[in-house]
Amino acid sequence: MNILVIPLRNLRMKWARSLLLLLVFTLGVASIVALNLVSGVVGESLERKLVAYGANILVMPRTEKLTVSYGGFSMGDMLLGASDLDEARTMERIAAIHHGSRVSAIAPKLVSMARVDGTAVGVIGVRWEREMAIKGYWAVDGEFPAREDGVLAGSRAAASLGLVPGDTLSLGSRTAVVTGVLRPTGGDDDSVLFTGMDFAQAAFGRPGRADYVEVAALCAGCPIEEIVDQIAEALPGAEVQALQSVVRQRMYSVDFVQRLILSVSLIILLIACAMVGATMLSSVNERIREIGLLRSLGFSRPGVFAIFCFEAVVLGAAAGCLGYVAGHALSLRVIGALDITEGATLAFSAAGLALTCLLIVAVSVLSAFFPAWKASSVEPSEALISL
Amino acid sequence: MLEAANIIKTFRTRGVESPALAGASLTVAPGEFVAIVGRSGSGKTTFLNILSTLLTPDSGQLRYKGEDITALPPAALNRLRREDFAMVFQFHYLLPCLTARENVLLPFLHSLAPVSAEVRRRADACLDRVGLGGKGDKLPGHLSGGEQQRVAIARALVKRSAVLFADEPTGNLDRTTGESVMDLLADLGNDGLSVVMVTHDEAHAARAHRTVHMADGVMA
Repeated sequence: MNILVIPLRNLRMKWARSLLLLLVFTLGVASIVALNLVSGVVGESLERKLVAYGANILVMPRTEKLTVSYGGFSMGDMLLGASDLDEARTMERIAAIHHGSRVSAIAPKLVSMARVDGTAVGVIGVRWEREMAIKGYWAVDGEFPAREDGVLAGSRAAASLGLVPGDTLSLGSRTAVVTGVLRPTGGDDDSVLFTGMDFAQAAFGRPGRADYVEVAALCAGCPIEEIVDQIAEALPGAEVQALQSVVRQRMYSVDFVQRLILSVSLIILLIACAMVGATMLSSVNERIREIGLLRSLGFSRPGVFAIFCFEAVVLGAAAGCLGYVAGHALSLRVIGALDITEGATLAFSAAGLALTCLLIVAVSVLSAFFPAWKASSVEPSEALISL
Repeated sequence: MLEAANIIKTFRTRGVESPALAGASLTVAPGEFVAIVGRSGSGKTTFLNILSTLLTPDSGQLRYKGEDITALPPAALNRLRREDFAMVFQFHYLLPCLTARENVLLPFLHSLAPVSAEVRRRADACLDRVGLGGKGDKLPGHLSGGEQQRVAIARALVKRSAVLFADEPTGNLDRTTGESVMDLLADLGNDGLSVVMVTHDEAHAARAHRTVHMADGVMA
């Protein structure tokens, strides 16, 4: 038996008040935990869906540009260094980085030029499944190429070349068939022809090569810079760039959801803190004579302060544990009910539980700080003589 | 042992001054039972609170075992209240959440150090002495007013203090219960404990070794 018996017995004696306070605090913690867990899952789900609207990292061969002129004659810009990438090695290394789980899609490209009926046109070799993962906005008149020699024509390119689904055309050393025409996207995709990567590599004599790789990374869990650094480390001969405008746009959407939820969480936390603080303050006023007695018995100010703080610690720890478990259960139900989080899972985290308990204990003690300080400042004479 | 010399105390509330003590003095010898008697407003409770260090005088000197304790630092003051001085108030001031035994042990619950078995046994002995043997597990709400005051006396006894200050210890009790409380205090005086009791009851004061009268903040 020691000083802690006083706050513990007091909590037990005023069980209705303690229970009500615990209930309110637990509800607050459960709401905050559920909101944060759901926001994490929703944020990630949202980001996964946003991946369909483009990549956010570009991997290219490292080159140096040199402007050459001699004797007043300009030979234009010359590129020094590797001109392309090993497709298989590049993709394998990107997938193997430390934050590999944050990489949602890797889409290699082979860029070539061809003449169709005497008109020059860009031909982009792509891996269809990977490309469609980052081009969720593509819509096609006709069909996506299912055959190796299939071609998807951009809307402007199809118009200028007079291509319609079913047309055949020569690309490099091979003949291809237009299976579909992209509806206008308003971007570069409208001006080029897309073919399968294997077909492009064979037709233009560049087997196993890629000119650049687009990577779609999920930025919610880690900064994009970290992923960029890891890819650069994995591919020493490549230049890796984050497409900051895409990253910012995407993170804005995710951050908006998370900021909104954080604001609501803070309001709930403030209300819970105000409840604890107000209840503790009323408890101090109610127990002023007890405090006077303790001081007259030689209890120090820190001792009286500790009694009230320990009550807050007990309440905070219990509310933190119960609230986390309840919040986790609640978030599972909410996530199950949301379409956006389809397939998302939420594992129970012991570290999360411990961290929540610690945080709520700290918040609870902080809420009780003023009442406890007020209690410790009571002079026995003021508390007892006034009677 | 305890000596108060020329104690002056004035209360100030919203600019209004109310003189309470105007030069009160008292000396208490070891084992002496002193009763301070006076009318309501004579300053006897204020004087007792200053003697027990619950209140600081405006001027004057308070000496305990030869040491000036008028302006002790808080830690030393807490130690003095914890170890040497004990208080019994008109109202028992028991913590309602603790049992009678735990209330008796309250002076030892000031830190994280656990209460020893020896002190627990002493608490039970104190409860026996005040006639509450077997009621140690009861909460204050389940005890009568007299029993609650006895618990408060047991709480004062358990510390084995040198001086017991009692402020109208029978003021809130009926005559019979008050008498039994007075018997206890008289016994303590005979046991060598210094007792300073404030009362307005001359009959109770007559049980003390010495009676001091107060009027208008000074010894009459």
